[in-house]
Amino acid sequence: MPADVVTHGGDVLCVRGLGAAYGASRVLFDIDFDVGDRQIVACVGRNGAGKTTLLKAIAGFVKPQSGTVVAGSLDLTGHKPYDIARLGIKYVPQDKKVFSDLTVGENLELGSYATKDYNWDRVTAYFPKLKQLMDRKAGYLSGGERQMLMIARALLGGPRVLLVDEPTEGLAPSIVSHLKTVFTDLSRNTALVIVEQNLPLVCAIATTVYALKEGRIVARLSGSEAIRPEACEPYL
Amino acid sequence: MKTLRWWWGPLLAFGLLALSGLFLPLPFVIEVVIFSIYTMGCNFLLGRVGFISFGQPAYLAAGAYGTAFYLFYFGTNPYVGLLVGILSGLALSVVVGPLFVRLRSDYFALVNLALAVIIYYLMQKVLADITKGDNGLWFLTNVSSTPILDLGKPKEFLIFTFIIGIAVWAFYKYLDDSIYGACCLATKVNEDKVQFLGYSNFSIRLLAFVIANTTTALAGAMYAVYLGFVSPEITSPARVADPVVVTILGGTGTLYGPLVGAFAYTGMKDVISKLFGNWELFIGLLLVFIMLAGERGIWGTLQPALARIFTRRKAGAAPEAVEQARG
Repeated sequence: MPADVVTHGGDVLCVRGLGAAYGASRVLFDIDFDVGDRQIVACVGRNGAGKTTLLKAIAGFVKPQSGTVVAGSLDLTGHKPYDIARLGIKYVPQDKKVFSDLTVGENLELGSYATKDYNWDRVTAYFPKLKQLMDRKAGYLSGGERQMLMIARALLGGPRVLLVDEPTEGLAPSIVSHLKTVFTDLSRNTALVIVEQNLPLVCAIATTVYALKEGRIVARLSGSEAIRPEACEPYL
Repeated sequence: MKTLRWWWGPLLAFGLLALSGLFLPLPFVIEVVIFSIYTMGCNFLLGRVGFISFGQPAYLAAGAYGTAFYLFYFGTNPYVGLLVGILSGLALSVVVGPLFVRLRSDYFALVNLALAVIIYYLMQKVLADITKGDNGLWFLTNVSSTPILDLGKPKEFLIFTFIIGIAVWAFYKYLDDSIYGACCLATKVNEDKVQFLGYSNFSIRLLAFVIANTTTALAGAMYAVYLGFVSPEITSPARVADPVVVTILGGTGTLYGPLVGAFAYTGMKDVISKLFGNWELFIGLLLVFIMLAGERGIWGTLQPALARIFTRRKAGAAPEAVEQARG
């Protein structure tokens, strides 16, 4: 089991000196990163800046070379992805690949069985459309519906932190608008870390923005006055 | 996940096979049922977990030799012999499983093949004092009569194989419909995403491996009791592809595939081998044809057609009719 370590100042997630690499190629350098309770933290940056790797390193899919990842009182560094998921740090990847041979209901049941949370009404309240699609094979869903399913599935068990990678990529404006409302509502119970290129969305919902460049955090913006599209744009 | 009246399907399938016993030779029908049990494990591994195994004869031999050792050296009760055979397969799977299931599918196939070859030479050469080498262990006369179903009598053994066949089929049907079956399919489709949800791929695969190979060992134990003889030929390197061939022939991942595949394979083997010496050539050509026709196998091809016919007849009827026509 993860060792007991306490995060600073009531943060639900605390990353210190995180470094990661793919083979010999270093991707993240000395990342310090905090997520407070009920915060929405956004990560912005150009392609290849290391945003997705940062989420994967937190979720356990990329083994950190250095540094620590602490959630509440638990040191998650180097733990298996499924252990980290069980501890309530859920990762929603960018690719929108669902278990296409399973129905929407079966996809949710997989999430329920792992967390013993069968309260589907709570998660479908965010995405009412899923109720009508329960018997449809997930492979036949649209991109937006897949994204809804992946977020709904990750919400089962009431995660303490939700890591969402490029949730609005390739989605219609109406769905982006819906997701904006959902993320705001979700943040009342769950801390969110969102990797996103959509600056209007980021500026509308984020409480803190970290800008990454070449694997390093180059700026931290906090507060609604600082988080403006023109302030974020130079980092994209 | 779905609660259906699933039981009529296997009853019909096994019932048809039982009826065929009226005009087909008894050994043929027994062979088909045992072969289908043998293939069900391979079918589960390949169809549900995405692991192709060229080592199934190793687990078949574990079951067969477990039973044979008991009936040759220690006891006479065939039911105890079957239990020993099943436990032998279970033990082998539990020992090698944690090492094998960590491998990628292609390496998994080869390491299982290597295990089959190792067991073949162990039984043929290294342990020849115990296994009697190529002569094999003969214990038909050691098998005692048992109450209710006397496995020493072919007709009663046939009834026994049908009961076991239906039970194993129902077990795999249950697995397919369970959350565990969904986990297996999910790990086959995308192993990373299963971990996002909090599942360990290793645990899912290990359990599937143990279940599949214990089923294979059960088939081996049944062969041993039925034939009253076991030799290293059961795990011969020449036979390692048989369960994979039958799985693909029947329709990978379908519940009826092993039964249909075993019937077709054994039938072709029996019929064609009487006409031509090289019956494997025809099986090979048939497999090439099946692959080119869409990789769905015999049942995988028949199933949608049957579902369409069934749906047309029951137009407007309950949707489970379609499900029942599926495998």
